[in-house]
Amino acid sequence: MKHRSFLLYIPVALLLTPFFLAPMAMIGTESFSGQQGFGAEYAKVVTDQGIRTVLSNTFYVAAMVTIFSLLIGYPVAYVLARLRGRWATIGIFLIFLPFWASTVIRSFAWMILLGRKGPINSMLLGLGFITDPIRFIDNGLGLMIAMTYIMVPFIVVPILNGLRGIDPNLPRAAAVLGANPWRQFLAVTLPLSLPNVAVGCTIVFVTSLGFFVTPSLLGGDLTVVSMLISEQANRLLDWPLASALAIIVLLLTIIIFALLRLSQLASRRRGKTQAGVFA
Amino acid sequence: MSISEKKLWAAWSRLLTGMVGAILIGFLVPILVVVAVSFQSKSYLSFPPTDFSLRWYQQFIGNDDYRSAILNSMMIGATAAALATIAGISTALAVVRAGVPGSTIVSALSIAPAILPQIVLAIGLFPISVWLGLQGTLWAVILAHAVIGLPFPFITVCGALASYSNRIEIASMTLGANPFQTFRLITFPMIRSAVIAGFIFAFAASLDELVLALFLSSPSTRTLPLLLWEQLNFQVTPEIAAAASVILAVTSLLILAATLLPRLGKDN
Amino acid sequence: MLQMPGRSATSGQNRAVGGAAVSIRNLCKRYNNFEAVVPTSVEIDSGDFFAIIGPSGSGKSTLLGMIAGYIDPTEGQIVVDGRDIVPEPIYRRNIGMVFQNYALFPHLSVAQNVAYPLKIRGIAKDEIAKRVRESLAMVRLEAFASRKPSELSGGQQQRIALARASIYHPSILLMDEPLGALDKNLRDEMQEEIKRFQQELGATVIYVTHDQQEAAFLADRIAIMRDGAMTQIGSPRALYEQPNSRFVAEFLGEASILPVKSASAKQAGQPRQIVLEDGTQASIHTDEDAGPGRFACIRPERITVGPKARGMDNAYTGTVRESLYTPGSIRYRVELNGSGCALKVRVLPQGNTEVFETGSTVDVGWSADDMTILRE
Repeated sequence: MKHRSFLLYIPVALLLTPFFLAPMAMIGTESFSGQQGFGAEYAKVVTDQGIRTVLSNTFYVAAMVTIFSLLIGYPVAYVLARLRGRWATIGIFLIFLPFWASTVIRSFAWMILLGRKGPINSMLLGLGFITDPIRFIDNGLGLMIAMTYIMVPFIVVPILNGLRGIDPNLPRAAAVLGANPWRQFLAVTLPLSLPNVAVGCTIVFVTSLGFFVTPSLLGGDLTVVSMLISEQANRLLDWPLASALAIIVLLLTIIIFALLRLSQLASRRRGKTQAGVFA
Repeated sequence: MSISEKKLWAAWSRLLTGMVGAILIGFLVPILVVVAVSFQSKSYLSFPPTDFSLRWYQQFIGNDDYRSAILNSMMIGATAAALATIAGISTALAVVRAGVPGSTIVSALSIAPAILPQIVLAIGLFPISVWLGLQGTLWAVILAHAVIGLPFPFITVCGALASYSNRIEIASMTLGANPFQTFRLITFPMIRSAVIAGFIFAFAASLDELVLALFLSSPSTRTLPLLLWEQLNFQVTPEIAAAASVILAVTSLLILAATLLPRLGKDN
Repeated sequence: MLQMPGRSATSGQNRAVGGAAVSIRNLCKRYNNFEAVVPTSVEIDSGDFFAIIGPSGSGKSTLLGMIAGYIDPTEGQIVVDGRDIVPEPIYRRNIGMVFQNYALFPHLSVAQNVAYPLKIRGIAKDEIAKRVRESLAMVRLEAFASRKPSELSGGQQQRIALARASIYHPSILLMDEPLGALDKNLRDEMQEEIKRFQQELGATVIYVTHDQQEAAFLADRIAIMRDGAMTQIGSPRALYEQPNSRFVAEFLGEASILPVKSASAKQAGQPRQIVLEDGTQASIHTDEDAGPGRFACIRPERITVGPKARGMDNAYTGTVRESLYTPGSIRYRVELNGSGCALKVRVLPQGNTEVFETGSTVDVGWSADDMTILRE
């Protein structure tokens, strides 16, 4: 009876083997099949100044977007977690409404908003804050704003879940012990929500590493790794180099998630030994 | 003294709530701006709009490219979401209920497409799609989108299955129902909203997906995001805003239906 | 009246086989190196109410799971109505089961829940409707047929679970802590309901609980499980009055358990003299070996306190260390003067019963027949 349950894996195997696992194997082999010899593509990635700039740009943008998303997402999650009933539903609905609009459309919206003659520049000019329009789209700032806008829901959800999982008696206990609301937050709420902050930040960072649409439309002169891969494959037809870059992105993704998992396991083990001491 | 301190904290809390409220409302602004610029008559984007016209909507309706792209996106999205949902349900059953060996690795693989940058999958899928003779057909995009849609029904159905004890299914079997009857009469009705939600998420993921479509489609299988993308790279006109507004309206209706349908079903 | 067809069908089925309705033979369950249930054999008669009790982790739920079919036994047979059901999947075993939290189908109405096993068996619609009506009448919930389970109270859900598990006349009815989720008062009420239900159906019931009073109230026979083994099987009275081990005596009711140091030799018809570890001497009627490693056991209500204790087979003076009035009984902890031997005493008060205060000196005594000797 037991072995028959393996049949349940058939659909997923039929889908993932040819269209997910095989492609991964494909880029693996392709990345070593370049004309200049075994591993030459990887050497090029490490030595080529242009590629290194692209990689560092990608990391810089992903890191900034993660920081911005956290700065906006944490307060939003914190307030949403304290709301009850209808207001909580409305709040979550509002944060997710743009989420349903396609990434192309959301990037397009920011192209309008951040244009040289767009509403943001005209407003700043009108208020006298600036004398010349800010060139958001050329300096990467517009890209980071638009990506943050797209990524905030992804960080709100895990943090919101974490905050909702905190026993409401814990901050109360801190209050009874004499902590004011700020100290309650620092001593109880913040540390207990950190694991979920880590999850949210990881999701945002990794997703930002792979962004293609928004950087293409709003990045100006700034190139990120997805754009480079696409360009190598589509325009320059250098599939080995594109594959080597893809493998690097793939490995980075796996490594970052493995680090997150390890830190989760480590903190769980610490939790266990602590519990052991108290028990 | 203590009363004023209490008031101070309350004021701070209200300020924080107000700021977050402003952020949430601010989140709607970009979308409203798109809608607003779609109703102008000028042939370049200007904000705030100075007049009102349906000119770009008329052009959008008359545009055959949009019509075929919408049709393609709907067919691709529905088929891909259906495939993803079937695979997601059976995998979730294997992982959560049947306790089949290998569940950890299968779970990780089923969630991976949600995390993996699509460009990576696109680079690998292109040669395979050529090799299988799928390149340029709808199936190339459908199967790629089924892969990236898989995590959604898998996660929602896993959640639904984990939310109730397997005792319900054991009870059904003690009462004489075989595993298929148990699935049809007990398990499926209990996970139905999760299945619908997973299907819609997978559908939405397909509707939003650009990179795989960019690599795998031909002019005849061009999807909606791809068409928008090409238009944006070619020339930015308010017609794109009109198209985007229509898409936004349709998506909102879909989401509304998705949230209301399970509730209506429950009443029956 | 309406229940009649159900009853005759069940008892008729059982009568054809006669004797044991369920015969468990060398059934065991091993997980790696851990024996959840050691090889166990037991026969359960048709129409019997058989309770399995034991602390958590004693293997009682594993045993029930193997009979129901959702746990595969490592070895052994479960013979029901003459056939071994171990090779059969759950859904062909024709067993009724009432689960701890009822496991009612939340998306189906009460009537649909009860109808479910009949629908699965492909019974005609009007026949299903008729039998569901009868079954709901039997648990007095006809008025709730179209409600969802979540709209019912815990006790009502429990009764629906009973109706659903019995409507198809299963060979045996399994119950896994069915009253565990109810509060005390409702539990007492439901015990009577279950007893009445079982007697009306004439059903063979295997009932798992950790509550000894519940088991004693309901069961014809009780098996006490410990570490995966049935340590003793018998009627509630036999288990209480002749426990075969210290574990059984302590698990079922209260007792003073006193380590034995030495005993005089057996002599037919004569009480034997034993000496306890603390030096107390007592006389006892027993054929058991009563040396070191054994325990003398005396139930609290068998000890007499006050002047009437003088002149009994075993008579002592002691000091009341604790005196507690509880509804229906007075409880004392008495220490015997000299040896310091501590005894639990329970007195059922009558109008003129004297209540002794803590610290007072009292006479205590008991008959040589009321003491038993136990193994560890």
